[in-house]
Amino acid sequence: MFKKIVYAIASVSLLACSNSGDPYQQTSAALAEQVIYQAHQDWQASNQNLLSSAQAFCQGEQDLTQTREDFLQAQHSWAALQPLLIGPLNEGNRAWQVQFWPDKKNLVARQVQQFLKANPEPSLASLERASVVVQGLSAYEYVLFDPELDLADAAQKQRYCPLLENIAAHQQKLANDVLTQWQGEQGMLAQLTRFPNERYAEPLEALTAIVQAQVISLDGLKKKLGTPLGRSIKDIAQPYQAQSWRSQASLSNLSAEVESALAIWQGAEQHSIRALLATEHADLVKQIDAAYLQAQQELAAFKQPLTLLLQDEQQRQALFTLYDSFDRLHRLHEKDVARALGVQLGFNAHDGD
Amino acid sequence: MRVFSFAHLSVLALAINLAACGDSEPTTSATAVTPAPAAATLTTTKTADTQAITREQVISHYADIAHATFSDAHSTAQALQVAVNVFVAAPSAQTQQAAKEAWLAARVPYMQSEVFRFGNALVDEWEGQVNAWPLDEGLIDYVDGDYQYALGNDGATANIIASQSIQVGEEKVDVSELTAELLAGLNELGGSEANVATGYHAIEFLLWGQDLNGTQPGAGERSYTDYLTDENCTGGNCERRGQYLKVVTDLLVDDLAEMTAQWATGNPDNYRTELLADSAEKGLRKAFFGMGSLSLGELAGERMKVALEASSTEDEHDCFSDNTHNSHFYNAKGVRNVYLGEYKKVDGTVLTGPSIAQLVQTADANADQLLQAKLDATEKSLQVMVDAAENGMAFDQMIDPENTDGQQIVRDSIAALVEQTTAIEQAALALGITELNPDTADHAF
Repeated sequence: MFKKIVYAIASVSLLACSNSGDPYQQTSAALAEQVIYQAHQDWQASNQNLLSSAQAFCQGEQDLTQTREDFLQAQHSWAALQPLLIGPLNEGNRAWQVQFWPDKKNLVARQVQQFLKANPEPSLASLERASVVVQGLSAYEYVLFDPELDLADAAQKQRYCPLLENIAAHQQKLANDVLTQWQGEQGMLAQLTRFPNERYAEPLEALTAIVQAQVISLDGLKKKLGTPLGRSIKDIAQPYQAQSWRSQASLSNLSAEVESALAIWQGAEQHSIRALLATEHADLVKQIDAAYLQAQQELAAFKQPLTLLLQDEQQRQALFTLYDSFDRLHRLHEKDVARALGVQLGFNAHDGD
Repeated sequence: MRVFSFAHLSVLALAINLAACGDSEPTTSATAVTPAPAAATLTTTKTADTQAITREQVISHYADIAHATFSDAHSTAQALQVAVNVFVAAPSAQTQQAAKEAWLAARVPYMQSEVFRFGNALVDEWEGQVNAWPLDEGLIDYVDGDYQYALGNDGATANIIASQSIQVGEEKVDVSELTAELLAGLNELGGSEANVATGYHAIEFLLWGQDLNGTQPGAGERSYTDYLTDENCTGGNCERRGQYLKVVTDLLVDDLAEMTAQWATGNPDNYRTELLADSAEKGLRKAFFGMGSLSLGELAGERMKVALEASSTEDEHDCFSDNTHNSHFYNAKGVRNVYLGEYKKVDGTVLTGPSIAQLVQTADANADQLLQAKLDATEKSLQVMVDAAENGMAFDQMIDPENTDGQQIVRDSIAALVEQTTAIEQAALALGITELNPDTADHAF
């Protein structure tokens, strides 16, 4: 979320740092290229598609069902990025421009309506000057899925279409901008590969950032499931506090996040966090493998949207079990993996929740 | 195992010599908010005692500061209680203003106490009844037609003051007799955290009323006539409104008395004794966790960034009274107090003693200098926020998307707190305090 101002500290302990053959450097480089950058590209492609989709829908060339599908794809690729949020997307308010959650007081509905009242013919420029709440996927989801709106109605479609098109255009622009910052000699990909650089003095710092992003995401999974469950607040379900309740994609978002957290753990080809720990921490590796498998199996067993599951006592208990699985994964990474790798995790935005 | 390294180690290179640490208050015209200026400039932390202090002494003094802060929060709440009783007994614009000023004064020590909330689970678990926000105030009293509340929250328009019983989901509650126990039990009614029936913000709403000005100038404008028990009563149910206000103010005083006692010396069964019986390392971890969590996740994040980026006055901390700038200032002051081991009491005297700063200075003078510089920078940024508010631009005006200057003030404060957090991590590392996470800091989730 926050930009870290980084100054080179070339004088400090960098001489010991040699890039070739350093397993931390190899792991950082491999994860950056094969997992993190790849996921950014998928996200960018889904936003490209979102723009074409919005335009086709608004020109009457595509139906609402397909338009919703395209949105779900963009939302899914964004969810998959959550454990991989390092670098440009973590800076300024970029991530906030994509999604606004938790939305405790239904700001998305209020602000979309206020925005359209003030800007009946919104432009990209007016959207970009407005609150982040109306700029991203949360507002797009509201327009496409809210039970009180109906885009099959021609007048409503005419009212909301300019907003959909501008949100999609803004998302595409944002994704292109982020991807550009990943590329090039001084780009994020290079900074996770060659050390020292302006952002990271040594591979350990890069790996720390990667693990921290993964841990923040695992912590976030607990919040995303625990909030609608009403966990720690009388255990009374709060379905409208769930992420993506309108599009009924809450659980599929969580699955996408788990898959990406797992991708950081097991990596691509021979380099991964798992591989770094395989020899000296075999027991921990076994525990973490099992914890991922369990979370995946539990997620796969749910066949209905979260809002419906919350109404069924047996399913609700299963969701609490899933929460415990997320908690186990979070703790194993936050404590044991961090300790085993020798990385020190800093404070994050969830602290104090 | 490699050498420990924080993700943002890099700022360490900025070795800055700084003049430390004058105590300061936000300059303000509202005398009720701000105690008299400090009698003398403090230089405690610069003295760099060559005389070694122990970690145990530092944690003991940490508990002293907590006790003094909660004790002030308690005594200023008692003053609020007196003012509220006078107001309810004889409602007028003057008695209402006196009650408002007492509330503002009570916020000064309380906001400085919040640094103890994170890291000390006992405080965090107690806090909900005292300072929960944001709230769906329609649970308590009448609200404007354009009122925005949490979707699906049946309690959001329950209006306890106007009702003999309220229905939330399957729960039907008799509210004919307003007691502290009843109202405390209505917090989080129906499982919604927006249902807040007690605490500072309930009192604030009852004194000021809803701020219907959005991002335009002006705070809540509740009239004292809402408390007149004759035919001039406005808003209906004036007597019950007065009762409600008195009951929640009494409860606040009781809650603060209880927390003050937890930090007092000489009680073998209280939290202070438990904290000091544990290792000093754990105590330091709690202290650092509190400083970092309040700085980053809570103050910079929940209380500023959310409101700023979403342009959401619903997410403003003291949204009825427009006292948010002072609340932020004193939150940050609390972080500083814990690090420097000093607290300026409401009577103007200053409590000093063995500090975390001294430990860090001995272990790594650069880390200490860096953090002191960042604490100073944060206080300066928040002073700019206070000055702007005192000159007519309240926090809710700063977050207007069209107000680029105002937004910048908030962004600068956020940025200062982010840098401060990094320096807190460095200072912790200098003392070998690692694993600054909620689990190890005994933080309840």
